[in-house]
Amino acid sequence: MRTAILIAAKDLRQRFRDRSVILFAVVAPLGLAVIFSQLLAGVTEFKATYVVADMDGGTLAQSFRNDVLESLVDSGVATIDDAATPDAAMASVEGGEADAALILPVGFTTAILSGQPTSIEVIGGQDAGLATEIARSVSTRFADGIASTQLAILTVGDLQGAPPDEAGVAAIIAAAQVPSLQLVDIQTSFRQLSQTTYFSAGMAILFLFFAAQVGAVSMFEERRLGTLGRMLAGPIAPTTVLAGKTLGSLLIGIVALTILAVATTVLIGADWGPPAGVAAIILAAVIAAIGISTLVTSFMKTQDSAGAANSAVAITLGILGGTFFPTSQAPELMAQLSLVTPHAWFLRGLGEMHGAGATVAAALPSIAVLLAMGLVTGAIGFARARRMVTAR
Amino acid sequence: MSIETESDAAATVAVQPGERPVVLRATELHKRFGALEAVRGVSFEIREGETYGLLGPNGAGKTTTISMVCGLLARDGGEVTIDGRPIDVGKVAAKAGIGYVPQELAIYPDLSAKENLEFFGRLYGLGGTRLKSRVAEVLEVIALTERANDRADKFSGGMQRRLNIGIGLLHQPRLLLLDEPTVGVDPQSRNAILESVAELGRSGMAILYTTHYMEEAERLCDRVGIIDLGEIRAEGTRRELVAMIGGEDQVRLTATGDLAGASAATAALEGVVGAAHKDGVLEVLVTDSRTLLPALLASVAAAGATVKGVEVVEPDLEAVFLHLTGKALRDAGA
Repeated sequence: MRTAILIAAKDLRQRFRDRSVILFAVVAPLGLAVIFSQLLAGVTEFKATYVVADMDGGTLAQSFRNDVLESLVDSGVATIDDAATPDAAMASVEGGEADAALILPVGFTTAILSGQPTSIEVIGGQDAGLATEIARSVSTRFADGIASTQLAILTVGDLQGAPPDEAGVAAIIAAAQVPSLQLVDIQTSFRQLSQTTYFSAGMAILFLFFAAQVGAVSMFEERRLGTLGRMLAGPIAPTTVLAGKTLGSLLIGIVALTILAVATTVLIGADWGPPAGVAAIILAAVIAAIGISTLVTSFMKTQDSAGAANSAVAITLGILGGTFFPTSQAPELMAQLSLVTPHAWFLRGLGEMHGAGATVAAALPSIAVLLAMGLVTGAIGFARARRMVTAR
Repeated sequence: MSIETESDAAATVAVQPGERPVVLRATELHKRFGALEAVRGVSFEIREGETYGLLGPNGAGKTTTISMVCGLLARDGGEVTIDGRPIDVGKVAAKAGIGYVPQELAIYPDLSAKENLEFFGRLYGLGGTRLKSRVAEVLEVIALTERANDRADKFSGGMQRRLNIGIGLLHQPRLLLLDEPTVGVDPQSRNAILESVAELGRSGMAILYTTHYMEEAERLCDRVGIIDLGEIRAEGTRRELVAMIGGEDQVRLTATGDLAGASAATAALEGVVGAAHKDGVLEVLVTDSRTLLPALLASVAAAGATVKGVEVVEPDLEAVFLHLTGKALRDAGA
């Protein structure tokens, strides 16, 4: 064991000295987690400010302002301000106080009721594409609803010999509008993590597979340098060399994930869960990553091919396992397929420790799966790698 | 010939080589790589304080032999013991007494000389003040004390070679295996390496030294095994090997006086094969110049000639190799 620790310590010294492991294991995943969290914060916490210039003041204009647009306010995605004139509304947009202006022209209600064409003018700010699109979409939907209602009113008028009065028409049109925007909370195990936490953990497990391969792949480097032969010519067994390499990877993986968990918590407000449970699942994930990378490496002949194969496996498993997007939103087949990856079980395990009444014990099945994956692949890979080390 | 041992610091004792314990015994080693039988029945032994050379061209089986000796390569047949303990790939503990210096560099380029030495020293069980003092001593031996904290990849080729050797010496092994340690080394570093190896031999270490440089084998080795095509073709001291092919030493005496008388007098000596003189130079062919030279000089003086200069030309191992294999040593590996 002492010799294995010496080899691991030497490896750590080399890896930290060339900074590659710091880049792969900490900097890259942390950077991406921050970027993802910032990008997605714009989606999940979207809030637009609209300014409405109602030049009409009629029943239907008020219905649009108070019913349709107000539903956006009720959904928490928009605030609505009013402007006295179209110029004032446009000035608000140009000044950046509003994302988009909606202008209801004079004669808006009358035109609709008389079946004449009219319009809602939507003027978007330069950097408010999404807010403008929503305003345009809401306006279009309102216009579509009016068109079909107008048709119905005209039909009724023909049949009854007289159209309904203005108030009646407005009531019909207002009733025909379904809420413009409805937020639906999809309850799944993955969604129990906030998006910030989800992508922090996702990037961490994705890059863990790059960091975990360091030990196994460095066997090829030791062989190339001749230092493997030198060690084996001394009182050191091949299994001890492999144990040292594995121990080095284990320490790198644990330290890297711990740093990421702490850093994303502090920097971007990720919530990984109860420390004991997080520690257990980190350990299990690192073991799984080392096992798989050892197995993959044992099939390779050179350092370059081992690095390439491990990277390909890391990316493939990362995509399948939902590190880039929640698999709960993917087709059922993909969701099922993700369960062959440690990534999915890692994210699921973290998710299971969140939510009302959730405990660390809830993550135990995921931890068990991760450990099983690591131990099975690691045992096969270790046996194959031992033959590779011994064969000369 | 006697070898001095420093095993007892208080007294220097002269011990005959044959009386020293055998450190390495390799018996009937065989190794095959597919259709190629790389090593065919190689046997030799090395005693304490003895430097044994395996001299042969590239591809002769030297590295394969040394790899089997240190348990790095599994044998197809034969046996290796160090101090009577069998060595094999799986015999980990028994390898502790071996210092191995591979032909290719085996150092960590991104670690300093000191870090390289400390790492390998710890692997061999050194620690604390013992490790510290051994690292300092070895750095001194390989002349890298001033560069101890520099990364190995900043070193010249010769310095890297010296570090490569230093790692093998660190734990003061009973047996040092040097596999062509001077290949690709500049003349100055090469000389320093050879001096270090000679010093180690004098200190009592058993050394197995493989080389395809005849001069190195002659300079360093107490005994030489000439290896070609996986077989040891001949073995012995340089003189024994030369004698094996019937080579004589040529002693050239620059002299004045009665050279004809001197020629006749020396020709009568036992061990002198022939003598002739020309232009003030007396040329004498002898079986062993080292033992005969005093008698030769005395005989010349007694005959009335005055010796002004002596030159001895001995047959070398190149000639032995040529005789045994039918090819020149320096061309055989090409």
